[in-house]
Order: sequence, then C-alpha cells, then structure tokens
Amino acid sequence: MATAIGRQRSGLAEALRAAREAAADGRGIWSWLATVDHKRIGTLYGFTALFFFVLGGIEALLIRIQLARPESTILNADQYNRIFTMHGTTMVFLVVMPLSAAFFNLLVPLMIGARDVAFPRLNAFSYWTFLAGGLFLNASFFTGGNIFHGDLGAPDTGWFGYSTLTSTKFSHGHGVDFWVFGLQILGIASLAGGFNFIVTILNMRAPGMSLFRMPLFVWMALVTSFLIVFAMPVIAVALFELMFDRLFGALFFEPAAGGNPLLWQHMFWLFGHPEVYILILPAMGIVSEILPTFSRKPLFGYPFVVFSGVAIGFMSWGVWVHHMYTTGLGTVANAAFGVSTIMIGVPTGVKIFNWMATLWGGAIRLNTPLLFAVGFVGMFTIGGLSGITHSMVPSDYQQQDTYYVVAHFHYVLFGGAVFALFGGAYYWFPKFTGKLMNETLGQINFWTLLLGFNMTFFPMHMSGLLGMPRRIYTYSEGQGWDLWNLMSSVGAFIIAFSVAVFIVNLVLSIMRGQKSGADPWDGRTLEWSLPSPVPHYNFAEIPHVHARDDFWHRKYTEDEAGRPIPVVAGGSDGHEEPDGHGIHLPSPSYFPLLASVGFPVIATGLIYDYALVPVGAALLLVGLYGWAMEPATEEAL
Amino acid sequence: MRMNRRTLSRLVVAALLLVLLALLLSGCETDTPKNTFAAQGEVARDQRNLFYMAMWPAIVVMAFVELGLVVTLLRFRRRRAEEVPRQVHGNTRLELAWTIAPAIILLILAVPMMSLLFKLGREPHKDDFVVNVTGVQWQWLFEYPDLKGADGSTLKSAPGDPVIFPAGREIRFNVTSMDVIHSFWIPRLGGKLDAVPSRHNRFWLKADQPGTWSGQCAEFCGKDHANMKLVAEALSQADFDAWLKEKQAGVKEFDGAAAAVPTSAP
Repeated sequence: MATAIGRQRSGLAEALRAAREAAADGRGIWSWLATVDHKRIGTLYGFTALFFFVLGGIEALLIRIQLARPESTILNADQYNRIFTMHGTTMVFLVVMPLSAAFFNLLVPLMIGARDVAFPRLNAFSYWTFLAGGLFLNASFFTGGNIFHGDLGAPDTGWFGYSTLTSTKFSHGHGVDFWVFGLQILGIASLAGGFNFIVTILNMRAPGMSLFRMPLFVWMALVTSFLIVFAMPVIAVALFELMFDRLFGALFFEPAAGGNPLLWQHMFWLFGHPEVYILILPAMGIVSEILPTFSRKPLFGYPFVVFSGVAIGFMSWGVWVHHMYTTGLGTVANAAFGVSTIMIGVPTGVKIFNWMATLWGGAIRLNTPLLFAVGFVGMFTIGGLSGITHSMVPSDYQQQDTYYVVAHFHYVLFGGAVFALFGGAYYWFPKFTGKLMNETLGQINFWTLLLGFNMTFFPMHMSGLLGMPRRIYTYSEGQGWDLWNLMSSVGAFIIAFSVAVFIVNLVLSIMRGQKSGADPWDGRTLEWSLPSPVPHYNFAEIPHVHARDDFWHRKYTEDEAGRPIPVVAGGSDGHEEPDGHGIHLPSPSYFPLLASVGFPVIATGLIYDYALVPVGAALLLVGLYGWAMEPATEEAL
Repeated sequence: MRMNRRTLSRLVVAALLLVLLALLLSGCETDTPKNTFAAQGEVARDQRNLFYMAMWPAIVVMAFVELGLVVTLLRFRRRRAEEVPRQVHGNTRLELAWTIAPAIILLILAVPMMSLLFKLGREPHKDDFVVNVTGVQWQWLFEYPDLKGADGSTLKSAPGDPVIFPAGREIRFNVTSMDVIHSFWIPRLGGKLDAVPSRHNRFWLKADQPGTWSGQCAEFCGKDHANMKLVAEALSQADFDAWLKEKQAGVKEFDGAAAAVPTSAP
C-alpha cells in the first residue's frame, strides 16, 4: 500500500524527500519548517504572537504619546487612525488568539494523555496560515507610499471596520483590502485549529480520561474551539460581502442602493461577541490550573466552573446588540439584549467566587505564576463590573464609544487575558525547557505590570465619564481630560518596561535558567508526570487515568480524616521509564507550509493583479495535493 | 513582626483603594464641558442616576473581591514547603447561593433599567420642538422643520452654526447621516444616538435652563472624526423668539446640506 502511494508521489514531493529526512532528526531550521509536532507548533505560535505583541505594543505607545497632551501633533489624523486600527486588529487576532492557540498546542495533548493532536499536519497548516495572514495584514503598512516619510498604508477604519466607512468611496488606498484578506486568512487558520482541537479533545483522550476528569483548561479549550468553529464563518461571510463591495462593486452595504450598513454591524458583532469569549475562556482555563496547583487544593466546585464556562459559550451568542445600543434598533431590542447582557454576568461571577474559594484554605505559594493568576482574578473582576454598568442600556447611551469602554475591555482583555497568559508562560515554561524562569525578574514583571496596567487603564474610566470619545487623535484642553490622559500615557511606558523585563527573563532563562526537574510546582495534571523538557513522543506509555487531577492522586493519598499524605516514592519516579523506541509519530511535512503560502499570493493577486491568483491557487493546490498523497507516517523513520 | 507587616500591607491596600475612590469621585461634580455626571437636563440626570445605581454596588463588590484576594493570599500563604491543606472539592449549597444571589441582584437592577429605557424610547409628544440632525464628514447640519424662513422654506443652519432650541421644552431630534455612520452627542444633556445613512433615528433631550454646551461626534467616521464638534444652545422663550425673528428677517438662506457635500467627496 505504502509503495503504491510512493509511486504516485509527485516530482516535487520526491525532491522534498531528502529535506524531509534531514528534518526528521529534529535539528536546524528545516526541521522547524516541516514540523508537525504540537509542542514545536505551540512554540512557534508563542514566539510569533510575542513578536506581534511587541508590534501592537509599539502602536499602543504611539497612541499614548500622541494623547499624552492636548493638541499634540506628533502623529497626524491619518497616521493615528491607521495605527489605532492596527493596534486593535493586531492585539485581537495576532496576539491573544494565537497565544491561546500556543497554549492549546503545547498543553492539550499532554493534559489528555495523547502523543499529538488529531491532525498534526492540519495543525502545522493552521500555524503557517496564521503567520501568512499576520504578515500579510502588516504588509499593508508599506502600501501607502514612503513609510519613512510617515505615509502609512494600513487600514484606517478601526478594527471593527464599520460600513460605510469601509467602502471604496470613503476609504482610500488598499489598507482595507489588506484588512479584509488578512482577517479572512487568519479565519482559515483559526477554523482549522478549532476543528483540530475539537476532534483531539473528543477522540484522543487516554483511557479513563472521561470528560469530567479533564483538566479545566482542556474544557475551556473545547468550548473555545466550538466558539471558533461557529463564530469564524459569520465574519467570513461579512468579509466576503465587503470584499465583493470593494472589488466587484456589489452593494451589500450601500444605502443608496438599498444596502444596509447595520447589516455589517450585526454580522461583525455576532462574530465579535463570541470572539470576546474566544479570547477570555482560555485565560480562564489557565487560571483554573494555576490556582489549584499553587494552593495545593483542587479547584473549588469543578462542575460549576465547567458548566459556567459552557453557559458563557452559549450565552455569548445572545448579547451582540449591546455593541449597538445607540444604533437605533429600538427600545424592545435594546431591552431584550440588555437583560441577556446583565445575565451573562452571572456565570462569570460564579467563576470569580469559585476561584476565590479555591485559594481560601489553601497553602498558597506566592510565586510569579500565582501572582499573575490572582492578578487576572482581580483585574478581570473590575472589567466584569464595569461591564455590568454597560449593560444598563439607557446609561450606556452616555458611555458607549467613550474611553469608559476602552477601560472596560482592557480590564477584561489585558488585565484578564494577558495577565493569565503571562502566568501560564511562567507556569509551563519549565515543562518545555527543563528550566525555571527567573523568579526575581518574574516578580518585577508582575508588580510593574500591575502598576502600569492600572495606571494606564483606570484613568480611562474617568476620561470616558468626563465625555472623551474613543478614536480621536486630538483633543483640546479645558475639558478635564488632560490629567487622566497623561496618567494613561505614563502608565503605558511602565507596561512597556514590564514587557521588556519579561522578554529579558525569557531569553536569560532559556539560555541559563535554573534546572526545574519534571514537577517543580507539585502539579496536579498529567503533563507534570512527564520529564522536562517533554520528549517528542510525549508519553512513552499512554497513561491510564483513574481520577480528576490524576497525577496528584499518584503522589498523595488521604488518611481517614481526609488529610492528604504523600505516597512514598510517588509520582513518575520509581517505576521504570520505557524509552520512546518503536513509537511511530507523524513524519514532518513541508506541504502545509506550501499550501499556506498560497493564500497571501491569492489575496495579493485579487488586490493588485489577477494574474497572481492562479499562481497562489497553484501553490495551494500543490500543497493540498501533496499533503493528501503523502503517507502520514514514513515507515523508514 | 509578621503582624506588623500584615497590618501595613492592609493599610497600603486600603489607602490605595481610597485614593482610587477619591479620584473617581473628583470627576463627578466638576463643571467640565462634557462631564456626563454634571447633568443639565432630564435625560442626562436620569442616565447618571441609573449609572450610580449600578456603579455603587459594583464598587462594593470590587472592594470585596480585591480585599478578599489580598486577605486570602496573606492568611493562607504557604509557610512550610511540605504544607498540604485539606482537600475541599466544593460546596454545592454555597455555590448555588453565589449563582442565585447575583442573578437576583442583577434582575433587580434590570427594573429601573427597563423603566428608564422605555421612558427615553417613548413616542414623541405632539408639541415637541423638532430638530432634524444630519451628520456629514465632518460636521453637523441642523434643520428646524416647524420653523419657516421669510420665503416660507424650512429653516436650516449653516455649517458650523450651533443647534438652537428653547430651554425647558422636550426637543425631538431626528438623526441621520449623508455618508458614513456618525453619532450625535451632547453629554451634559443626555446620551448619544447614531446617525446612520438611510436610517432616521430619533430621541428626545431636554435642557433644564438656558445654556450652551459642547458635543462631538462619538462614532469613528474617518480622518477628522476628532474635529467633528458641535455646540448646542438652549435659549429662554424670549431669546428664542428673538433669534427666530432675526432668522426670518431674511439674512439670506443658506443651504447647509448642499454646501457640505463637496467636502465629503473623495
């Protein structure tokens, strides 16, 4: 069978075969380009997202420099609009989403006792397509003329891209085209990842790992993946309509022809609100792992936390109009969505209380991961509560589109998601490197971030309530906004310092971090039963799972009073460790990368010259064909 | 020593929270031009009071959670490396309580929310003073359909003119746009309403006393969004009549809309 497939292989595949074999030994750049190992793909996701985080952070600093003083002229209106558009788009699509993908990739197989994800090559395809989409989107900066003279070509319509501003009549240049295709490509990457993780989680669990024994992070990965699979097609449709409007003169959103600009808002937020939970649920999963480990207590009320996560997933589909309260949809629509928005606070509140109860009565180790996780709970709470004030529809008529909203969602997505992601990085870094991150630098990182974050975003509540609208590149003095804006700008630089400390810590710890051993935190879930760094086959023997927090129960038993006592010679030490010999893992493949390269080429063709479209399509088809025809596991390896 | 340190950190946290609260409150009653707390009309006042109704419980919950976290961390920090606490898996009764209690509190909040929502969204009164508002990149145009100029045509504003209306009366604004989406907002009189091309949204505002307020476009509308400002002027009935007479006396009619179109074209 394998020989028959081998004979059918295309010439290109033959040419790549030697390189594939070189890649199989796991060294050098070629092995990274062809990797299908979930740990390597997770690492690629993580570093790429970190790169975009720095990029989006620089954009944020430019925004804050411009707004530090009234009547500032450091940026002009046009530059400011392009930069804030790219800041939002970057942070949502190129930072928080892929960082979550990084954690899914690194952890889900380890936590469920699998050797890889269900579709390793599809996983590689997700990453390369994400990278292609991210680079393509940012390439738009160079389309506005001479970038060194400050002529930026990036989209200038906001990350929400409200029609009719995105029409060719009101948005000049190709920025919006790049935005449309960039997001479309990123959507493909997310969809492929979403399907992959649903199948992985449902089908690849080790024996005994029932759904209600899964670590909470895996539950949140599952809910997030379902949200991705259902939400991405909605924005895909909206983007296709916009693409047809812009490229082929369709009139979906053209009011003069009976099109409806609000149609865009409905579709964008029908995607956009689940998207908010796509960003935050993985963070909630991370926190639900860190808090129990560092308190040495199981998660308080596991079923409640699972079900509230699932409830949030469902309810997230019924609240999108709260982004549109002031568009004039009518009192009844606003009333219905006002109540649904109020009620989504309930499952979120449940989680906050359960996390606090997890800490209560624990033996809390105050290390960097724990601090970030607690920081998440504290900051996310503030964001959630300002969310409650937003759900009061009539008073939100005042706060809608002001800096109060900016404060709210940064508390949720930065104080929330990003804090948790930092915590996760400190927590799981030892698992993949065998080294600890530096604790002193970690503490500096946390405390400066907490200070800088609150100094930047708390004042925005005030500037918003004092009537400062969002997305303005300048403001005049005498409106009571100056002090708050200056505070925000100073805070932004403290955040920048903190992120720099994190990057330094990351580099130093990779180079010469202290050895961590397999289980530095007294972990509870399966990944800590493996050696650090994790061998490429993960589990030499697929584990049999007997309980939730299975690894903890291998280390501790309980006496009659319910007090945990350590098992002598517990954990993974003690019993003999088989090596990975004879384990067949999927072979490396270049085809996912090849297929991914096709997308930006097609997009460039659609924007500039149709002649490029068949070239990109050919790359995509060759990639997909080679991928389909290539055997998943090379018997020779 | 340990006790001292704990007391100290609690004091620091309490002081920080007080500073935050003081900062928050410092914004409330100041007389800055767009302060949503310093309401000068019925709508803005109702909205502010509703906001307080949500804000104060939110601040209480926030203080409870933040202090709770700090106290928990200090009280239950690990003192010996081998310390392992009792393994508590949950408490269904407690968890049901903190699911149901917030739900009830939130539903109670929904009652005043609904009542204000329907009050602000009600059908216009017959004797409302009507202003048609049109957003166009990057200015506001006003039209007074009930007021006629000397030649019998509808009275319109020139670009840059303030919107004029009598104080103490309900003003019905019909809001639309000629190009992209804008949002019409006079913070001290009330919340905003979007100006959407092809849609005619309407809402009402009311100024308690004669006065002048500034507002600005609240929905991102392209390059000069930040400069799309407006001035609203409420006049006493006598001043208003004088203004109307002056207008009708035939200072020449200015077709604001027609004049504005070229600036919006690419």
